[in-house]
Amino acid sequence: MRNSKSAKEGLVVYELGFLILPSIPEDKLSDTVDAIRKVVAKANGTEIDAEAPFQHPLSYSMSKTIGASRYVLSDAYLGWIKFEVEPREIQTIKTGIEKIREILRFLLIKAPRETTFTFAKVKATAEAKEESVSTPATEVMVE
Amino acid sequence: MRKQNYFKENKIEYVDYKDVETLKKFLTPHARIQSRKRSGIPSKFERQLAVAIKRARFFGLLPYVSR
Repeated sequence: MRNSKSAKEGLVVYELGFLILPSIPEDKLSDTVDAIRKVVAKANGTEIDAEAPFQHPLSYSMSKTIGASRYVLSDAYLGWIKFEVEPREIQTIKTGIEKIREILRFLLIKAPRETTFTFAKVKATAEAKEESVSTPATEVMVE
Repeated sequence: MRKQNYFKENKIEYVDYKDVETLKKFLTPHARIQSRKRSGIPSKFERQLAVAIKRARFFGLLPYVSR
């Protein structure tokens, strides 16, 4: 991809989007994110940007089989991390992420260095819009 | 009539799969990708958009089918 080449020679910027199982308590989410960061750091990857996971409804139900039981899920914790790494290391990152049991699904893609979209930004603009709708404009007194 | 380019008008250089609200503008009520005749976007963005929508579907942000 055009923008994904890093300033440093030989490094490529990747983005890893991940869905974490909703059964995990919110205070233990950071452990899963740390596990992802460890996998990236082990492959000599440098983190550029990230967004903390938050609960998000899924557009369709997904299933994950752990041991003998199959879980059907309609929502998950959604987060992403952007990092730069040498392309030959990406396979080790992929296999490392696959081994984390708490991850329902992940998407590893090449991405531009600049972050143009974050869920937090969208939430903030949506809230600002709602506020402007709920608070009516100041009434003008007409005599 | 001149075709409109949503992405150029809104200064979007990279079509992000996470930007669901933008992607939804280019879906039909059955959640299929709109034809170029209907969306009117250039082929470069059409390709980027198709990839982004498919990624969003895999990620559970958009449905594969609707209704």
